[in-house]
Amino acid sequence: MALPRVFTGAPSILKQIYLRLSSSMSGSNVWSRTREKMRLFPELFAQCANEAAVYGKCVAATTTGTQELRKDLCAKEFEALKICFTNAAKKRAR
Amino acid sequence: MSGRLCRRLLRLGCPASSAGSWSRLSGTGRPGAGRSGTGRSGLSGGGRMNVFSREMKQRQKDWAAQLQDSQQYDYLREELHLHPPPALLCTRSDQVGSRVADRVYDIARTFPLALDIGGGRSHIAEHLSKEVVERFCLTDVSQQSLRRRRPSEIPTHCVLADEEFLPFKENTFDLVVSSLALHWINDLPGALRQIHQVLKPDGVFIGAMVGGETLYELRCSLQLAEMEREGGFSPHISPYTAVTDLGNLLGQAGFNMLTVDIDDIQVHYPGIMEVMTDLQGMGESNCAWNRKSLLHRDTILAAAAIYKEMYGSEDGSIPATFEILYMIGWKPHESQAKPAKRGSATVSFGDLSKISRPSGTDQP
Repeated sequence: MALPRVFTGAPSILKQIYLRLSSSMSGSNVWSRTREKMRLFPELFAQCANEAAVYGKCVAATTTGTQELRKDLCAKEFEALKICFTNAAKKRAR
Repeated sequence: MSGRLCRRLLRLGCPASSAGSWSRLSGTGRPGAGRSGTGRSGLSGGGRMNVFSREMKQRQKDWAAQLQDSQQYDYLREELHLHPPPALLCTRSDQVGSRVADRVYDIARTFPLALDIGGGRSHIAEHLSKEVVERFCLTDVSQQSLRRRRPSEIPTHCVLADEEFLPFKENTFDLVVSSLALHWINDLPGALRQIHQVLKPDGVFIGAMVGGETLYELRCSLQLAEMEREGGFSPHISPYTAVTDLGNLLGQAGFNMLTVDIDDIQVHYPGIMEVMTDLQGMGESNCAWNRKSLLHRDTILAAAAIYKEMYGSEDGSIPATFEILYMIGWKPHESQAKPAKRGSATVSFGDLSKISRPSGTDQP
C-alpha cells in the first residue's frame, strides 16, 4: 500500500546511520521537519480546490476519451495548481 | 504444555497485564530441523514467490505499534464504538476482527487451542470468550505489536514467529484464525499448507484477508498522476489475491468445505494524505521489493487532485475501498459430510414442482 517512501523506516544507509547516532527521533531532524511540513498539505490543498478540479478533469478525461495519457499532457493546468499551492504555502508561512 | 506446542519454546515470563506467557523463537526465515514439514519440501517446481520484504514489514509493524496514538488506526481491524478518530469520516464503521469472531461463534464447538496468525495487537481474541476458545496462541513478526496487544479473558501465549514459517508441530490446533495478515505473505500456497498441517483433523481455519479491488482509487490516482507528471509509473499498492483464486488456493492446500465471501468496506477520508497516513499508522505501508523509494511532491499534489476529482463525493470527502475476503476451510475428517454416491438419490428433481402445489391433499 502506498506511502511517500521517505517517511517510512530507514530506506537508505545514511538514514540508518543517522538514526543510530542520534538518540531518538523526537529531536528535530530533516525527517521530522519534513513530516511537519507534509502535515500542512491538506490545509493548503483545500485552498486550491478550483485549480485542482480543473487539473483533475483534464486527467480524468483521458480515461474515458480516445486520447491516451502521456507526460505533461495537462502541464498547463498543473502549473496553475502548483502556483496556487506554493502561494498558499507562502501565505501560511508568513 | 510447552512441550506439546513446540520443543524449542522458551518461557520468558508473563507480561504484567494479562494471564499469558511469552515465547520467542528465532525461527524467522529458517525452517529448522525440529519443525515438521514446513512447506518447502512440499513445493513442486521452482523458486518461491518473493514479493515482499518481510524484514521491512516487521519494522513497519514495530513502528506503527509504538506510536502514541496507535489505537486510532485500528478502526478497520476492530470495533469502533464511541468516537471515530478525528482524521476520517466513517460511512460504515465495520470491523474485521469482530466479524471473524462472529464466524467463530457460528461454529457450535469449543476449541481447546486456537492460533492467531499475524494477530498483531490481537483484535480477534478480545471478542472471543473462554467458553468458545480455551487457550489462545498469538503469532506475529512484530514484537512491539505483541507487547501492546489488547487484553482478552482467554489465556494467551505470544509467539514471535513469521507467518510463513510456523514453528508448531502437526495436528496441534483446533482452530486457526487470521485477520488482515495474509496479504503480506510471500508464498501464500505454502503458508496455507502449513496452516493445514498444524490443524488437527476436523479443525477449522477462518481467515480474513484484504484482496481484490482494495484501494483501487488510490492505485488509479497514483498511477495517473505519475503517468502525467513523470511519464511512467511504478506499483505503490501491493498485489492482491482475487476472490476467484482463493477457492483454488484453499483447495490445493487440502481444505474441505470451503466458504469464501467478500465484504466491501468504504471508508471516507478528507483527502489523500489522510488515506496514506492512516495506512502507515495501521502498519500497512508498502514493503514490496519493487517499491519506489520516494514519491515526488508534484506527484502527490497531482494525485490528490485526481483522487478528489475522479472519486470524491459531494461533501468533499473521498472514499477508499477495502475489500475483505473471508474464508473458512476445514481439515478433512471422516465425520465430515461427503458428497453422496452416484445413484443414491431417493427423490427426483421432477418432484420439486409438486412441492409448491396448493394442498387440497396432504402433499409436503
